[in-house]
Amino acid sequence: MKTEVRGNGGSISLQNPSLFNIPLDPITGALKGCLGSLDGACIEKLLLHCASALENNDVTLAQQVMWVLNNVASTVGDTNQRLTAWFLRALISRASRVCPTSMNFNGGSMFQRRLMTVTELVGYVDLIPWHRFGFCASNGAIFKAVEGYGKVHILDFSITQCMQWPTLIDALAKRPEGPPSLRITVPSCRPQVPPLLNVSKEEVGHRLANFAKFRDVPFEFHVKDDDPCLSNETFSTQFESLLTQLTRSQLDLRYDEALVINCQNWLRYLSDESKGNTTTVRDAFLDVIKGLNPRIIVVVDEDCDLSASSLSSRITTCFNYLWIPFDALATFLPKDSRQRLEYESDIGHKIENIVGFEGFQRTERLESGVKLSQRMNDAGFVSLPFCEDTINEVKSLLDEHASGWGMKREEDMLVLTWKGHNSVFATAWTELED
Amino acid sequence: MPVDDNSSTVSGDASVSSTGNQNLPLKSTVKKKRNLPGMPDPDAEVIALSPTTLLATNRFVCEICNKGFQRDQNLQLHRRGHNLPWKLRQRSSKEVKKRVYVCPEPTCVHHDPSRALGDLTGIKKHFCRKHGEKKWKCDKCSKKYAVQSDWKAHSKICGTREYKCDCGTVFSRRDSFITHRAFCDALAVESAKTQTNPSSESDPKVQAADSSPRRSPPAASPPVSAPSAITSSDIRIQSSVLAEDPSTVVEEAPAPAPAPSAPPAGLNGSSSSSVSLVSSGCNSSSSSVFSNLFTSTTVSTSIHPPQPLAPALPLVGLNGSCSGSVSLVSSGASSSSSSGVFASLFASSTVSASIQPPQTPALTNLIRADLAPSTSIEPISLCLSTSHGSSIFGTTGQERRQHAPPLQPAMSATALLQKAAQMGAAASNASLLRGLGVVSSSAPQENLQWGQAQVDPDNASIAAGLGLGLPCDGSSGLKELMMGTPVFGPKQTTLDFLGLGVAAGGNPNASLSALITSIGSGFDATTAAASVRGGDYTSKDIGRSS
Repeated sequence: MKTEVRGNGGSISLQNPSLFNIPLDPITGALKGCLGSLDGACIEKLLLHCASALENNDVTLAQQVMWVLNNVASTVGDTNQRLTAWFLRALISRASRVCPTSMNFNGGSMFQRRLMTVTELVGYVDLIPWHRFGFCASNGAIFKAVEGYGKVHILDFSITQCMQWPTLIDALAKRPEGPPSLRITVPSCRPQVPPLLNVSKEEVGHRLANFAKFRDVPFEFHVKDDDPCLSNETFSTQFESLLTQLTRSQLDLRYDEALVINCQNWLRYLSDESKGNTTTVRDAFLDVIKGLNPRIIVVVDEDCDLSASSLSSRITTCFNYLWIPFDALATFLPKDSRQRLEYESDIGHKIENIVGFEGFQRTERLESGVKLSQRMNDAGFVSLPFCEDTINEVKSLLDEHASGWGMKREEDMLVLTWKGHNSVFATAWTELED
Repeated sequence: MPVDDNSSTVSGDASVSSTGNQNLPLKSTVKKKRNLPGMPDPDAEVIALSPTTLLATNRFVCEICNKGFQRDQNLQLHRRGHNLPWKLRQRSSKEVKKRVYVCPEPTCVHHDPSRALGDLTGIKKHFCRKHGEKKWKCDKCSKKYAVQSDWKAHSKICGTREYKCDCGTVFSRRDSFITHRAFCDALAVESAKTQTNPSSESDPKVQAADSSPRRSPPAASPPVSAPSAITSSDIRIQSSVLAEDPSTVVEEAPAPAPAPSAPPAGLNGSSSSSVSLVSSGCNSSSSSVFSNLFTSTTVSTSIHPPQPLAPALPLVGLNGSCSGSVSLVSSGASSSSSSGVFASLFASSTVSASIQPPQTPALTNLIRADLAPSTSIEPISLCLSTSHGSSIFGTTGQERRQHAPPLQPAMSATALLQKAAQMGAAASNASLLRGLGVVSSSAPQENLQWGQAQVDPDNASIAAGLGLGLPCDGSSGLKELMMGTPVFGPKQTTLDFLGLGVAAGGNPNASLSALITSIGSGFDATTAAASVRGGDYTSKDIGRSS
């Protein structure tokens, strides 16, 4: 039997009034419309209610919603349950900042850092084509752009610890005119996000060098150090200092080199907040690299806007987007797969940052491919289309994976899709000739 | 005898489709001309067989004894055994027209006589492949086949076109093989072996057996810079997380090759000492979910699926690092599974291995002050859902939902809501407080807890808490009452508000019921009474409110 009760907000129909003498139970209202099972839409609503409860300091409601979510969440359940688990955790992390304890004044993450070995990372990036798509497209564009050059210098700004380069080295080694000599420079600072290695960058470079030697490609690897005094600072501080060192002389750029700038999952960590009238760090970075006259710039990132200031809109967008990798993993890895849990945990790390933090601690400020393209255009770059060879390579790569992966072209941008949903975009740019 | 489809011939001759026991073509001595597939000889006789006939295994049936055979040759051999008279022994020597076959599936392109296939076996295979069920599965990969010969052919080549690394790992894709090869330890070892001039190369230092820090092989020919600052900051992060685990993961970790095996071993040794998971009598599934939430990020080879907390504590830290900070406290009554939520919330946010949740006064104040507004059941703006409405929860969202299977939580949605509402304010107050260690006793009755908390407060802290200026919704009078001891002091308050002579520190039950009474008299009975009603409340207490 139903009872209609009118309250401040709207009417709520209660199914069992004997239990609900409370006239205005927020939980029931929150789930109005969710009949029977709790599906993704309902979970999304719950998450939003929890977030708003936290923002209003309504601990009771927050706890009630969390309790419900907790019963739904499971890190070894189906896709929705897993996503819920990580979102709930991020919200709790946020709540713990609402009521700070003496232990987390530094705003530390509730997540533990997981370190991988190099070989583990290799497997990690090939689990799903999420990263490999970007690698393949970028390497294809780079290969084309450096045709005819005897020397190539790559400035590698990425978070995947040089996993991209072996296939490029391999391709360059097989060049009919012989391989160019290759230099790769990486910055010493890197955002503290997964995937994390248990070895240093130098070691990674060392192994790459081994491989290049094995393939008879002349190779050099540099780590561009920044100021050691800043070693305790956050990534953004370190990076701002590094920006000042990205000059021709300090990078030892040579006149006969083809300079390649590789930005993979990188721009999102550069702050887009302008302090006063100064340009943002992100735009400043683009200016700097433009000044280096690169032959080509490749930018790869995830195709989603996650930098809104409103928490609710971030939760919604994030929930609807990160469903994609979760679903992809669920398709071919079993419920109790360790790899799947690891991968999801790394995504959970991202969720925690996006949902649980604010201000300068919220380092994940992802923007979509369309917005990025606009930004690049504004900065004076022009897009380069990917050639047919590259596109065919990407297609055959995707063929080798599960059948939900696809690719589409949006103008000059290549987008990886899962079941039709945009996941990762890849673009290539060069300077606009004046 | 199964009835067959009518056949039509290109040449106009009527022809009856045959089952097994009719005349079959002689083996022609003339070498058959092989037509292009799908473009049959125009003079050929078109035969349409039903699916049943097509798939029948024993098509050739002896007319004498009705025994069926898969092949015509076998049937002939068999017929010899019947000692037929010479006349009947031979088949008809009539020149038989070439026969072509159409696919019985109407939607198929080969259903059209002009696209018939010339070979009976061919049409059988085609039908199975395209329109049949794939019953044959390769056991190496996941490919399935409908035709057995296809399956056999695949099995022969499955796994042969592979890339094998020196370390033994096998890859089916070239790019993953290349990437692995580049970073594999095996390559490092191999290149070290091929070194003629060890002093100029750093490779010997990279050998698997060597456990020297890989930070900077100084003689490395690729010019690498000095150890970068980032590495030390990595360590720092872990050490801040690591409470007391001395066996650090990072810099001095064993060299690559032993790396996969060593850390887990070190893990299990070190982590068990630093992991603290306290679970006393709490069987609620929610707690186990949370314990797994916190454990699953520390991934190791021995992750366990969620199990009740009571038995084995499956926490194993990763690389010996972070397990120290996981401390899940779920003690006390199991009646409120919510206790696990906030208890763990505040416990695990502590980065130490300490079990005790923090009990700083500031925190207590915050929580208490926070509890105040929440005890008045304020309708949270339901407009949240409506304002976002169709734009967010619209078709896109719905569409995506369809991809994911619907949830089956242990409880139905309705049950969850009811239970959550039941927990209400009383439970939340108590459990929060308990989780913070504010309330020392672990009495099962949450209402008692709550009553105790009210009656034995720290005046100063309450005042301070109030002074924090956190938003207080709802009727302020109710809030202060719930707090139990507003600024004026317990004794005074209870006398003033309740009109009763209940002293502070008195019998908790009495004070609580008195409180209820006063609430009932002074305020909206339904709201207040319901708000304090926990699941464990006995009705007679409520009944006193009037």
